[in-house]
Amino acid sequence: MTHTLAYPPRVTAFTAPFWDGLREGKFRTTRCLRCLHITFPPKPVCPECWGDQLEWIDLSGRGILRSYTEVCAAPAMFAAEAPYILCLVDLDEGIRCLSRVLADWDDLRPDLRVRVKVREAEPTYLFDFVVDQEGEVS
Amino acid sequence: MASVVGIGALPVGRYADVLEHEMLLKALIEAMSDAGLSKHDIDALVFCLPRPYAEQRYFGTFMAGYLEIPIEDTLLEVLGNGMTGGLAFDIAVDRVATGKAKVAVALGVNRELHVPTREHMHLSMRAVGDVDFHVPFGVTPIAWYAFNATRYMHDYGLTREQLAAIPVKNRRHAMLNPLAQMRKEITVEDVLNARPIVRPLGLLDVPPRSDGAVAIVVARPDIARSLGRGVDVVGRGFYHEGIHQVSSRPRDLTTFESAQIASGKAYKSAGITAADLDFVEVYAPCSIVELILTESIGLFAKGTGGAAAADGATSIGGKVPVSPSGGLASRGHPPHVTPLYNVYEAVQQLRGEAGDRQIAGASIGAVTAELGDYNATMMHILTTAAEVRP
Repeated sequence: MTHTLAYPPRVTAFTAPFWDGLREGKFRTTRCLRCLHITFPPKPVCPECWGDQLEWIDLSGRGILRSYTEVCAAPAMFAAEAPYILCLVDLDEGIRCLSRVLADWDDLRPDLRVRVKVREAEPTYLFDFVVDQEGEVS
Repeated sequence: MASVVGIGALPVGRYADVLEHEMLLKALIEAMSDAGLSKHDIDALVFCLPRPYAEQRYFGTFMAGYLEIPIEDTLLEVLGNGMTGGLAFDIAVDRVATGKAKVAVALGVNRELHVPTREHMHLSMRAVGDVDFHVPFGVTPIAWYAFNATRYMHDYGLTREQLAAIPVKNRRHAMLNPLAQMRKEITVEDVLNARPIVRPLGLLDVPPRSDGAVAIVVARPDIARSLGRGVDVVGRGFYHEGIHQVSSRPRDLTTFESAQIASGKAYKSAGITAADLDFVEVYAPCSIVELILTESIGLFAKGTGGAAAADGATSIGGKVPVSPSGGLASRGHPPHVTPLYNVYEAVQQLRGEAGDRQIAGASIGAVTAELGDYNATMMHILTTAAEVRP
């Protein structure tokens, strides 16, 4: 049975390329054509220069685990999923995203290399991170 | 300049069988009586917006009608998330300092305990980060403080035992505070063994849910002196980082930039330095927040706040007492009015009326309010005027 998101995102004409991209295994965001600033989440204007000429780019999906926490006391709609580990990942492109990291608490430490892993779900796909064994810096 | 001439507050706790306005009128009447003023003296009422689950809407104007208070200058309800009470106080001070009001009252009531915990978390979850790009992961409002904790422990070698010293200290302070909600002594062991909430933080690192009501009466200094009151607001600093809890760019998780900048502005406007402070009464929902904040506002060097707390530097009687009231986790935390409880405590300390938790010789103190992951900070500096010092 397909996993159903407890709290699905709203998909709009603007954000559809991101959410639809996950179904194709792509992790995307927007880049400003004027100042080249990359932002996450994707935005219809550049938060750096407020330019509105943007392009969609594919991200590497790789970065470092800046920090993490295990949520043991979860809101009602996420209670069935608890405990789960939230993370802040600083992607190699110089942007930060919040997600979950799929790992045991004891196997984690800050600065581990991680990579994105698409989560098949309905009504949209979502993304998690996993420890990037190959890219791990010893 | 403006002075605080009256304070009133209900003990923080559970108020199941009373209405919001029944709570607030008690605090207001206590504060006005403490000031020695009547309702006819009030030029401005600045309310903390009640929480979304408060039954009575348009609460400020309702309250003015309930107590039949005509208002000459302004009446409004303000919202700034956790900073709400700090904004209410700031506006009341500003109305007086700019000559628009002779007497302004900052006041608010916040009830949390009549909402079931999980419903409560659902509402607060939608206030975290981006509803579409963060909430689907199941993020909770205190998760971002746990991110701070994980990173801080990694970068500075902070031990869980050192961090636990902060809740233990705050509980000792709360045991001396008749307004405090949590007054049973706790030990470092209790903190370490408490149920995990957002690892590495456990139940005793985070605040309880609480109800409370506070009123703070602000007046022109000449009126204050005629009333025999001499606690003055002499400095103020504010800064918002332009970040809503989760930054879209990599940045440090172990310093609160907004607190560094806002405190710098507050010290400068008051003509003091951090070293001049006799105490601080801070908005710090979690143990780790208090630690990082004490470093960010210049009380301790970066990386040393945990050891300082464990050594007693932030206890009453220590180098610079932090949150003599017991702080959010032990005094209790009705978020929209917590900053007004901070002002209440600071005024009691500066008047020498803090009883068993009195800091000897307290004459300069700072209060903070914040929102998000300390993405914005409001700091006020309060002093005891020389002519009224005992």
